[in-house]
Amino acid sequence: MLAIVTTNLLRRSARTIFTALGIAVGVATIVALLSFTQGLKETAAGFVHLGGSDLGVFQANVSDPTASVLPSSLVGRLSKQPEVARATPLLLIVEAVKADPAAVVFGAEPSGFFARGLVVIDGRGARAGTPEILIGDRLAAQLHLSPGGVLAVSGHRFPIAGIYHSGILFEDSGAVLALATAQRLTSRPDEVTDVVVEVAQRVRASSAAKSIERAFPGTQAITDPQQALRAGANSTLISKAILVIVVIALIVGAISVANTMAMSIVERQRELGLLSAVGWSPGRIASLILGEGIAVSVLGAATGLLLGVVGGSLLVGALGVSSYVSPSVTAWGLGRGLLVGVAIGVLGGIYPAWRVARMTPLKALSGI
Amino acid sequence: MSAPAGAEVIVDDVSKDFGRISALRSVSLRVSPGEAVAITGRSGSGKSTLLAMIGGLEQPESGQVLIDGQALWKQASPAHARREVVGFVFQSHLLLESLSARANVEVPLIGAGVRRGVRRARALSLLREVGLSDRAEHVPSELSGGERQRVAVARALANEPRLLLADEPTGALDSATSERVMDLLFRLREQLGMTLIVVSYDRAVGARADRTVTLIDGEIRATEAAALQR
Repeated sequence: MLAIVTTNLLRRSARTIFTALGIAVGVATIVALLSFTQGLKETAAGFVHLGGSDLGVFQANVSDPTASVLPSSLVGRLSKQPEVARATPLLLIVEAVKADPAAVVFGAEPSGFFARGLVVIDGRGARAGTPEILIGDRLAAQLHLSPGGVLAVSGHRFPIAGIYHSGILFEDSGAVLALATAQRLTSRPDEVTDVVVEVAQRVRASSAAKSIERAFPGTQAITDPQQALRAGANSTLISKAILVIVVIALIVGAISVANTMAMSIVERQRELGLLSAVGWSPGRIASLILGEGIAVSVLGAATGLLLGVVGGSLLVGALGVSSYVSPSVTAWGLGRGLLVGVAIGVLGGIYPAWRVARMTPLKALSGI
Repeated sequence: MSAPAGAEVIVDDVSKDFGRISALRSVSLRVSPGEAVAITGRSGSGKSTLLAMIGGLEQPESGQVLIDGQALWKQASPAHARREVVGFVFQSHLLLESLSARANVEVPLIGAGVRRGVRRARALSLLREVGLSDRAEHVPSELSGGERQRVAVARALANEPRLLLADEPTGALDSATSERVMDLLFRLREQLGMTLIVVSYDRAVGARADRTVTLIDGEIRATEAAALQR
């Protein structure tokens, strides 16, 4: 049986390849989307825990965290809350570095724990009262920049004092200016994007978040990445869109395989009639058809896994959005892709197998 | 090879319609175990339909076909019942193009769940029987028309059938090759004691059979014993 399945697939190699490719595209889409979703979650985690903070306070109901606007005066009031150990404001400037639009520029108070937590690995820290900029090591590597060079932000050129590493993707792919400089640059003198908070000892981040939201209506305190994803309408939209695309990929994949398998059955009707005439039971013939479907889908799923992993990484590189989202491949994501691919083959083979089982041998032999 | 006894075939008042066309009309026929019967008639006379009914490839509209007292079509697994009793040789050989001659002969044995080693040995033995042991690993496209039909004969014998049904087995062959294939069929029938029913438009085939049945428009119009034909 296995030999017949193999020879049938090899004999119709073009059909086998195209069917497998159809499945591969479906599986690749699923794997890529799942890895992007995971990446998005990890990116959101980076946003929530900027500067190694326990939580971030944002404006409530904004389309995404970078669109948040809070008054600078909030920082002082927040710091007085009993649950808060330290709080420091950040002003996020997006799409301001022409050479790398994905890089985020952080306006941070030089004395705040965010700026003080950056480990300078080349050059020195920025001098107080000067318009110097620090850049993350990933951005430096990408744009081939070094201390003594210049980085243009919103058309203004800032001398690079040093290069830092923080271990957080967003920070290492961006740059840091003094908060006052960033506010002047964006003409938002009394505004910040968010306030990052370290909670007091023995206080849980989630309970601190609730207290802060109660004390400061119109804000939301985010402690985990899922919450960050839900907080932004755009992120919710993306999650829903991903779900829809995954389902469409599944439907298209299953229909494509079922169609190819059904066409193959029509073409091979006489051959299957012969098997029936020489004593193959309908169940055994159906097994042959299903076996071929499963073999093709395993081939397609394996190719799809490879395409999904490699293609996802290449795509974010080509689009220059690696600072925002990097695909994160997990074993469960790959497993789901493989399961779905094989399921497509089984589902796609069921109709043709059922059709063959119902046919009389004479009808099949006549090719009717 | 062991020598299976021939099967008795009883066709009792069988009719078959395909839409508005009556392919068979109240056909009755009895074939004794080990007998060789030729069914002749013009194209569209119902010869192949009758053979298909005998072989359990299709269900009669009315009447019944009994092989050794059993209606194949009414068995729990008609395919299994067919495999136990009947061997088919078709006009266009119907070999699987991607498989070697040996693997083609093994196909019915795969359906029967015979172990690999056993079916390989039996296939090679049958190919030797039909004079093709040196062509066992060739695919059909590498064989001549006569060789392909001989592979089809070997395949039909794989399950050691008691009833061999041949539907115009020489229809696509030249006369010299046809003679050789017919020689083979009738020699194997003698050797194995099977019942043989051959459908052919060629009256010369009738001369080799014990009896010739002529079908016209789905009805049996004449039956001649071999002595009368010679």
